[in-house]
This record gives sequence, C-alpha cells and structure tokens, in this order.
Amino acid sequence: MSSLPLLEVEDLHVTFRTASGPVHAVDGVSFTMRPGSSLGVVGESGSGKSVTARALLRLFAITDDVQISGAVRFDGQDLLRIDERRLRDVRGGQIGMIFQDPLTSLNPLMAVGEQIAESLRLHRGMSRSEAASEAVELLARVGIADPEQRATELPSSFSGGMRQRVMISLAIACRPRLLIADEPTTALDVTVQAEILLLLDELRRSEGMALMLITHDFGVVAATCDDVQVMYAGKLVEKASMAHLFDRANHPYTEGLLRLVPRFEDAHTGRLHPIPGQPPITGGGGSSCAFAPRCSHAVDRCRSEVPPEIAVGPEHVSACWLAAERAKDTTDAGHPWRRTP
Amino acid sequence: MGMQETTATTAPSPQSRRGRLLRWLPDRLAAEGSLGGLLLRRLRDGVIVLLLVVTVIFFLAHVVGNPALVFAPVDATDEHIDKIHRQFGLDRPVTERYWEYLVDLSRLDFGESTWQQRPAIDAVTEALPSTIYLTVVGLGAAAVLGVIPGIVAGARARKPFDKASNLASVAALSVPNFWLGLLLILLLGVQLGWLPTSGRFETASIVMPALTLGIVHGGRIFQLVRSATFEEMSKPYVTVARSKGLTEWNILRRHVVRNTGVTTATIVGWEYVRMWGGAVFAIEYVFAWPGVGLLTIDAAHRQDFFVLQAAVIIAGAFVIFSNLLIDMGYQFIDRRIAAT
Repeated sequence: MSSLPLLEVEDLHVTFRTASGPVHAVDGVSFTMRPGSSLGVVGESGSGKSVTARALLRLFAITDDVQISGAVRFDGQDLLRIDERRLRDVRGGQIGMIFQDPLTSLNPLMAVGEQIAESLRLHRGMSRSEAASEAVELLARVGIADPEQRATELPSSFSGGMRQRVMISLAIACRPRLLIADEPTTALDVTVQAEILLLLDELRRSEGMALMLITHDFGVVAATCDDVQVMYAGKLVEKASMAHLFDRANHPYTEGLLRLVPRFEDAHTGRLHPIPGQPPITGGGGSSCAFAPRCSHAVDRCRSEVPPEIAVGPEHVSACWLAAERAKDTTDAGHPWRRTP
Repeated sequence: MGMQETTATTAPSPQSRRGRLLRWLPDRLAAEGSLGGLLLRRLRDGVIVLLLVVTVIFFLAHVVGNPALVFAPVDATDEHIDKIHRQFGLDRPVTERYWEYLVDLSRLDFGESTWQQRPAIDAVTEALPSTIYLTVVGLGAAAVLGVIPGIVAGARARKPFDKASNLASVAALSVPNFWLGLLLILLLGVQLGWLPTSGRFETASIVMPALTLGIVHGGRIFQLVRSATFEEMSKPYVTVARSKGLTEWNILRRHVVRNTGVTTATIVGWEYVRMWGGAVFAIEYVFAWPGVGLLTIDAAHRQDFFVLQAAVIIAGAFVIFSNLLIDMGYQFIDRRIAAT
C-alpha cells in the first residue's frame, strides 16, 4: 500500500482534431497504479478508456491528428515527454499491451514464434536461436500445447482464444512491469473469456506485473481486479476498490452500469435495465456534468457546473454533485457480483 | 480425380481410353481448386480471345473494307480492280476465305509485306525484341519510380513527402505520354545534349523512351502501392508491432511490405500488360524506336495491310500470354502463402 506508485497519470487530456471539429476523447484523467496491482477501467464505447490506454504509450496512427497533454509518470520518466527512442524501449519492454481483436492483432504472414522472438531480440538482446527457444517457452507458459510445432505456424491456424494466448505471450515476453489489456476478451466466446481472464490473473501474480484491464463488462473486472474506475465522456466519474464499488456504488452512472449486469434472479422476469440515451460523441469539454442528460437524479447544478471528484470513502471518489448525500443513502446493494474474500 | 486416372492400371481397350481422354479435359476444366485446371481454363480463354481478335481483323478487312482497293493504284479502272479481285481470290465465298485465312495463320503465314518485299512475320519478329526490351526496361523504371516512393508515402500518409509525391504522380499519369516524351527530348536531348533523341543506335538510346514509360506507368503504380501500404498501416497488427517497440522502419520492412508484396507484384504485372495496350506504341513513334509500335504506324502509313495485321495479332497474342503468366504467378504465390 505504501510503496511508490508505478504509474502516475496526471490531468491527461487527449484531443483529436477531426474534420467535424475537435473531439475531447480524454478530458482530464488522473490516477495512479502501484506495482503489482490490478486496475479495471470500465465504460461504454466512446467513453475514452481505450484512448487513455493508448495515450500512455502514445500509440496512435500516423494519420491521427492528436494532441496529448498532462503527465504520464512511469518509473521516474514522463512518457509524454521522452523522445521516440526511449519510448520504444518502454513499449514492449516495460509496458506490454494486449488488444481487443486477436484475429487481426497478429501479422498474418509471420510465424507466431517469430512475432514473439522479435520482441525478445529487440528488448532482451537475445540471439536468433535464443529468442526462438524462449518464444517456444512463452507459448507453453500461456497454455499452448505442442509449442515447438505451433511456434512455426501462421496465426491463421490458431483459433480466436489461442491467438489471444499468443498475443498475451507476446505482451509478457519481456517481463513488463505493467500489462495493459484493452478489451482482451470482448471478441471471444464466454467460456474462452474465463480462461483468458484466469490466465491474465495468474500471470500477474506470478510475474509480479501490474495489470490495467479495460472493459465494458463489470463481470470481467469483478473476476480480475482489485481496483476499478469508471469512465464517462472522457472523464473518470468514480474510483474505488472493487469490493467497495459493488457494495456502495455512488455515481448514478456506475449504478446504471451495475444494473446492466443481468442477474440470475431476474431471469424469469426477462427484465434488463438499460441506461436511457446515448453517450456524447464529441467526448468531454463541456461546462456541465456530461451524464446529466441521461441521469434521473440530475438537479440544476448538474447542468451548469462540472462536478469535481468528491471523496465519499477511503480511496473512493465520485464525480457527482450528489455524491455526499448519495453516500449516506447507499446501503449494501447485495449485488451478486460482490467479491467474497 | 487425379488419383483415379493414375491408379487405373488395367490395360485399357482403345475405346475406353479415348473415352477417358474425352472426359479428362472437361474434368480438368471443372477442377476449381487445382492450379493445372486453372491454367487450362485460362489457356482456353486466351485462345478464344485470340480467335476473336483474328476474326474481327478479318471481317474488318474483308467484309467492311475491300482489300483490292488497297492494292489498286488511285487511278485504276473498274476492270483493273476486278482483275485484282480475282487474282487475290476475293470472288470466292467469305466462309471459304475465312477458313483459308485461319489455316494460314496457324502456319504463322501472315502474307507478304508489300512494302518490305518479305514475309510480314519477318518484319514483326525483327521488331518484337526491341519492343520487349523497351517495355521491360520501362517497367523496371516504373517499378523503381512507383513502388519505393509508394511505400514511403503510404507509410507516412498526409505528411509532406506523401503530399508532394502524390501531386507528382497525379501529374505523371495525367500528362499525355507523347507530350512527356517530346518534353524530355527538348530538355535532355536538345537543351542539355545528354542523351540521344531517337533511334536505337547506342546503349543510351533506351534511357529516354524507358524513362518516359517509367514516369507515366510509375505514376499509376505509385497510386496503387501507396493506397495498399496506407491500408495495411492502419491494420491492428501494425499497432501491435508499434506496441512492441519496433521502429517505424522495421514495422514497414518486416511486417507491412511482407503483406503488400503480392499486391505490389500484381500491380506491376498489370501495368506491364497495360503498357502494351497503348503507351509503348506512341513512345516508340516519338523516339523512332524500331519496335512493333513504330512498325505498325509505318505499315499503316504505307497501307501495308499484312504487316499491320501480323503486328496486331502477334502483339495481341503476346499480351494475352503475359496476362496468363501474371495471373498464374499471382495464383501460385497466393496459394503458397495460403498453404503455409
């Protein structure tokens, strides 16, 4: 708890300049991660969670007209300010990343072993043959049977779940201190999802890496993460420990998301509880609470002033004008996803 | 299917063997997956196209036009023309003449050149190597001018180099090729006096015509390679490669080019065929390059129908054959990739 933070993000802003005007995809996000900790970032599509992750490593396409400001302190250096060469040492070396779609994340014309070995040779200075045998070991490590043979095969001969395992072995190849997983299970079958989450959790513990898991699915976070933060329209609306959040969700948006997780008890009534309306497409940057138009609790103040992050408990903040009074009201919701220690 | 044919070891009676042979071709043609079947289908299509070309030429010359008029002097009387008509056997039925024409062509007999006083085919086969030489060097120039800048521009889309090279390529492919040739003659030949302006008398003679072809066709190759590279660069695996810490150069070299390679080879192949479809003829004329193009234009001027006909048919056959080779090459690479 008291150790120095591994990652410290301070007032991160990411703005895309597009033909139809600027989009504030990330609008003043601050958070920290301790070494070996696990953090879930939850939000709908377009909430800025993926952009936040990409901004940490400045992973944008050359055609993206993007402006990043703030600070991303990792291991004593600000990743937003170091030069390209040092940033490349961090990418893949200190911070590994896994992406949503395992079908398109691997080069279709390069043997998977070679794709893993590429990282090893670059960051760990291994020879061609050392890297090749280490790649085989990594494939075995993520549960791929017959790894010597599989290493020589192209991604097309792997199933979706197997490709995501390959992707994970690639991301952890250089023993990064932080692993960022951007919707790693979204494109997979439910049964495979569980296996991949289990693998990530197991690797985090055994390798001592920190894990940042980005998802729209609270179920995924509940299974894997100690801490959670909820994003909406480019802002963090609520931060808490996992157990705390499920018991005492404060922000109306978090509450809405939690209600979206289908409950077994509701199965016979067939009732789901969608949040009415759509998130804003231009991201944040307004002068009101971005969630106010969809919020059933909104008062006048919500529509005229941006709510600050208000502490509602130990290591629990909520960006809502009603946070304080809601904190008193919230009782144990008895949610089925609540963690049992 | 192939197995059945080879494993039938009992001595076949002549009849069943003939039956098998008759079945073999349609079976091969229908075999969707096999490369051999594809080759046969493409060969069949090529023969059909060539036959169409040959037929169109025949009917243009013999039915729409009157060959006797071509040979008769301007002041010939009607009797004189009739005499030529009979001499050439043009009074016989069209179907008979068409059949004879096909038989002659199958023996590579394209008739006598009235201008050069020798078989028309000789004039064409003499000119053909020059044209092949020019198109191959021209394609090399087009590939160098198109592929490398295309890859760089696609990888650095919307950056200054991309914008500048894009503009240059649009200019290159919009400019009429003969005009560009004349411009080069003026600049490199007349003004600077660096290069010979016409004919094929020394090694350097190839430079200007090949450069002209290279610029015009390189423009289109550039456009296609650039967009293929750009599209490839926006694929998720490129972001993954970036997240591994690879330099942009290594991403391009190790990942992107590997994936755009087949497309690039196909684009360059198409461009070669396209060259035969026009540009090379105008360029040969501008630079007095002694190839099939110049021969065709000269033959047309001298009303030497047989040389014209031989040049069109042989050039046509060459294009059809090149197309087939490119297509097969592409299929072969593609299947090998799919198989690994």
